[in-house]
Parts: sequence; C-alpha cells; structure tokens
Amino acid sequence: MAEMIKLFVNGSEVEVEAGKNLIDAIGAIGIEIPHLCYHPALGADGNCRMCLVGLEEGGPPLVPACKTQAAPGMKVLLNAEHIKKIQHDVLEFQLINHPIDCPVCDQAGECSLQDYYMEYDGQKSRMSEAPVSKSKKLDFGCGVIHDQERCVLCGRCVRFCRQITKTGELGIVNRTDDARVTIFPGRPLDNRYAVNVVDLCPVGAMTSADFRFKQRVWFLKKARGICHGCSKGCNITIDHNREKDQDDLIYRFRPLLNEEINGYFICDEGRLSYKQENENRLTEARRGKTAISLDDAVTTALKEMAKAEKIVLLISPDSSLEQMAAVKSLAEATGAFLSGFSDGYIKKGDGDDYLIQDDKAANRAGLALLAIDSSRENFATALEDAQMLINFNSNLSLSYDSAELEKLIKDKYIIAVTSHDSDFCKMANLAIPAASFTEYRGMIISCDNILQSFDKAIDKNSPPVEISEIAALLGGSLKNSEDQYNALKEVIVSTESFNPDTIPTAGLKLN
Amino acid sequence: MSAKVKTMERKGASLAEKIYFIEIFRGMATTFGHFWRNLLDNSKLYVRHYPEVEPEIPVRWRGRHRLTAHEDGTVKCVACFMCQTNCPAGCISIEAGERQDDRAEKMPVKFKIDLLECIYCGYCVEACPLDAIRMDTGIYSVTDYNRESFVLGIDDLLRTPGAFSEEEYKKGGA
Repeated sequence: MAEMIKLFVNGSEVEVEAGKNLIDAIGAIGIEIPHLCYHPALGADGNCRMCLVGLEEGGPPLVPACKTQAAPGMKVLLNAEHIKKIQHDVLEFQLINHPIDCPVCDQAGECSLQDYYMEYDGQKSRMSEAPVSKSKKLDFGCGVIHDQERCVLCGRCVRFCRQITKTGELGIVNRTDDARVTIFPGRPLDNRYAVNVVDLCPVGAMTSADFRFKQRVWFLKKARGICHGCSKGCNITIDHNREKDQDDLIYRFRPLLNEEINGYFICDEGRLSYKQENENRLTEARRGKTAISLDDAVTTALKEMAKAEKIVLLISPDSSLEQMAAVKSLAEATGAFLSGFSDGYIKKGDGDDYLIQDDKAANRAGLALLAIDSSRENFATALEDAQMLINFNSNLSLSYDSAELEKLIKDKYIIAVTSHDSDFCKMANLAIPAASFTEYRGMIISCDNILQSFDKAIDKNSPPVEISEIAALLGGSLKNSEDQYNALKEVIVSTESFNPDTIPTAGLKLN
Repeated sequence: MSAKVKTMERKGASLAEKIYFIEIFRGMATTFGHFWRNLLDNSKLYVRHYPEVEPEIPVRWRGRHRLTAHEDGTVKCVACFMCQTNCPAGCISIEAGERQDDRAEKMPVKFKIDLLECIYCGYCVEACPLDAIRMDTGIYSVTDYNRESFVLGIDDLLRTPGAFSEEEYKKGGA
C-alpha cells in the first residue's frame, strides 16, 4: 500500500496516494480533472491546458494538474468560477476548428471532447469563420486511419510512437491552426503495437480501419477477458453485441489496464484475434460428413472408445486449467496416454522484449503444472501403437504439414473436440463442437507464472459445450467445476491460499 | 390555480323522462328516421365509403417511413444510428459502410425497418439530425400477404416519395 497524504479539494479534506500527480491522485478517489494530453502511460506533456487547477496559498495560483505532484496540505480548487471559465474557454478554443461530425465519427460515445463539451462547455460556437479544412481519412498504415480535422493535437500518439514503441513514425508539423499530426512521406506506421494509438486518441482523430463503421460504441457490451494470442496473458476488454436476429458477436478487443502484465496496451495481432472467435466455428457435431446431435456424438465416441485398445488424448495448450484437469482425469479413467504436444505453437524469434512472446500458447505453464507430457517423441510413439486419437482443440496443423498429418492419423479413429472447423476437424471421424475461450470461465497461467481467471463473456445463441464437460461425458472423473478446483488445489502452490473465487483481477503470482 | 369547472345538466330527471316509454318512442323515431333516409338514398349515409373514398391525411400524420435524398439523388442518411438507438420497438437495423459519393464519410449499406415491429411513434424522425428519415408518405394502411414483405429495405424506403410539398411539411411542425 502506497503512502497516503491528506490534501484539500474544493475545501474538503481527502486522502490520496502520495507520489502521483494531481490528475491520478484525485482521480483515484473519483474526482475527475478534465485532461486531453495527459495519459498515465505516456506522462505529462502539459500542452492541452484542460487540466489547469487553482491552488489556494503557496505556489502559483494556476497549475497544470498533470505536472503537479500531490503534496500534503495542498489546497486544490476545482469548482471556482475562474477555473470553470478556463475549462470553458480552453474547450471553446479546441472546438474552433473541430468539424463536429459526431454522427459519423466512430469515437462518439467514448470521446473525451464530447464528454467535456457536455460537462464544461455546452454553448454554441461563436465563430463566424469557416473551420480550417485539413485532410481526412488518411491511411497511416497498420490499420490506423487519421482525420486531421478532428485532431486536438494532444500528441499522445506521437509520444506513444516515441516512448513506447520507440519507432517515432508520427510527428506534428506546422504551427497554430495549420498544425497537424502526420507521418513522414512514404513511411507509414510500422510497428506491432500501432493500433494502440486509436485507444490513446482522446478524440476521433485516430480510428481503427478494422472497427470503422462496424458498430456505434454505445451498443457494445463490455466484458473482461484474457487474450489467448500468446503466453503473455494480456488483459482485454471484449466488446461484443448481439445484433437483432443474430448471434452474439465480438466486434473488437481493447487493452485493459493490468500493471503487472500488459500495462495499458496490447499488440495488434492479439487485438485482431477476436475475428477467430467469430469465424469458422464448428457449430454442429459431425460423424464423417453428417451432422448429428451432441448426445449421439457422445454415444458414438463412447462406443468407439470401448472398442479401442489404446487411446491417445491430446490437449490444447490454450485450454484452461480446469479443462486440463478434466481431460487428465479422463486419461486416468480410461488408461489413455495424455499429451500436451504443441511444438508448433512456438514461433521462434517472433517475440519481442515488450509484450509479444514466442510461445503462442496461452497456458503452457498449466501443462507443466499438471505434469502433462508434451514432448514430440512421446506423442508420436504413443500414437503409433494407438487405435484412437481424441484431440481436445489442439491445432496439429501448426506442428505437422498436411501430408505428415495424414500419415500420422492414418487408420486411426479420430475424434476432434474442437472450437473451430479446422483442417484437422475435417479429417476426423467424429467432430464435437466445443466452446472457445471467450465462452467459458477458467484460469490460465501466463509465461511470467501469473495465474489469472476470466469469466464467460459471450453467450452464443446455441452455447457450445466446454471441453471439461465433454471430458466428463466421455468418462472423466471430474464432473463439475468444484471437482476441478479441488484437483487444482493440490497442484497450485502459491504464497496466498488458493481459492478460485478470490483470485485478484491483477492475477496471482505463483511460486 | 383554479380548475376550469363546467357544470353539466343532469338528464333524465324530468317527469316525461321518468315515465320512460316516451323516451323509447323518441329514440325509435330517430332510429327509424335514419333507417328510412338511408334506405331511400344511401349517399346520405353518415359513414366514409372506405376504401373507395380515402380519408384525408393531415401533414403531421405519422405514416409509413421513407428515407429522403439530396437533390442529386444520393441518400441523406449518414448512418449515425440515432434512429436505431432511439427506437423503442427495436425495429430498425442499419449496417454502415464507406460512403461512395463525396458527401461525408459514412452511409447506410443496409437500412431495414420491420413494419410489424414498428409502433409508429415517430421517435426516429425526431432523432434524425439530418432530416433523412420522415414519416410523411401519407401511407396509413400497410398490408400484405406475408411477413417478409413488411421488412422494408433501403431501396423501398428511398423509392417512396413524400405526400406533401416541402412548405406544407415544414408548416406541419417538422
């Protein structure tokens, strides 16, 4: 717990954290100081002048809150008439050349300028001159579209590219009302975190080409989730919506603050991984090419399992701990060989020293924790003797090319319990649809050994069954989540006592 | 504030009315009066000969919707979704896309109104910032043989002209 200090806001005493600037310190207790250019990840810049606050006694009468450290006994004025006038006037300046095209702007609904106008300004423009016209719909590359007219020149995007990605593609050129954010000629945005500038932009100047015009943001429902794109375990907000007469679909992933893991940002690849949750899903169980019901599929699977002498189970390294425990119990109950083989998930050299990891599996640490063998040799030898392979959502096409894969599974009965209608699923004798990571509640362990839990975010019209449930139907002994937690309690060693319901949102660092 | 009070005369208290039979005969006289008049000349009927004679629709009548267009024929709608947001019945569904003409940036690719769900409240017209949706077609009777044809697409909505002149519409309070 950080050190607390006492200061006064509008005459009443409040207790805030020491060592922060006024925006963060006072913001943490629910009193908002309007600001456009300041962002906790990028530091104070002090160019927008929106956060000017008054100080009674000691120091200058007006200070930018972003650049002022909270100090004990400070008397901060937020609601005085002259402060309100400053906020009002600064906004009026900002809006002189703003096109006010909120109806067609994707930011509308989550726009700082819009919110502040309603809160602090609220008057009609007094300008009789036409606004300065600048370029619209500029393609900055990496799926970022820039509208110079909407820009308030806060420089967050410029600072992001300089400080965070250290690529420096963006800059502000010219002065006064001709100033604009732009790229160098012929050198578009070229980094793997570029779309974060869309989230950073307090107005609608930076918009995402992928999300452009897809939804108005007030229709979207927000849910917390964990990105399964790599082993980092970045926290995300899943924005989803069920359109009229349609299924619950995800429209975008946005980063969610987690100081311990991803900070304020996520990579572009993870951000776009939402598409896989919507597309190419297996929705019906299949025997060969005929669609069957889930009950029939389970009955068929049980019959075939009884016939087979040796069975190999393969579990995806993306599965939650609960699912791994459930499949492990199935392996123990049937005497099958369980493998977590997934060498193909590792892309050597793809990672960087920031967020992106080489290992594209979300829960490889979970495999190790549950002592599930994942060597290539053991999997190949076990499969050679076996008559049956049950694949729980592991993407074998990443590890083998199609010819190798065909040879590998030749003459074997293949059951694919899978969320997606993959190539492997098409080769399988029996395919059973399973829930994907936004559709179940679970726990995963990141590459930094941080245990995180996440809830079910998406509620499909016909909800697919979770892998752990299917494992239980096929004969696993862990029938419900309580059984799974009890099994997990034995293997999870942590500094605090492990309880699945009390995992902090920031995650639990395991020993 | 004093309420405006109008004292009503209570009927049925006089002796002639209390006798009752006199009133019955007076009532029958009215009924048979109508009967003979209508029987002899049915053009004097007190009812509208609908559908041969259609009612006169006032300008402010909330009829079936239409989308308005600029003079060059391009759709005024910019797909801001205000009507869909404001619709209490949830009968509007829009899909937005990149605008092909030079006006603004955004336009509706699909614009569907399910007339079976619509409650004709006119909130979509109120919400529209661009006067792109109106209920001035004067169409008060929406009938068909199957449910699918009650879902109007963008082309149907653009095709229908307004029933009134611009001046009349503006005067109507729009």
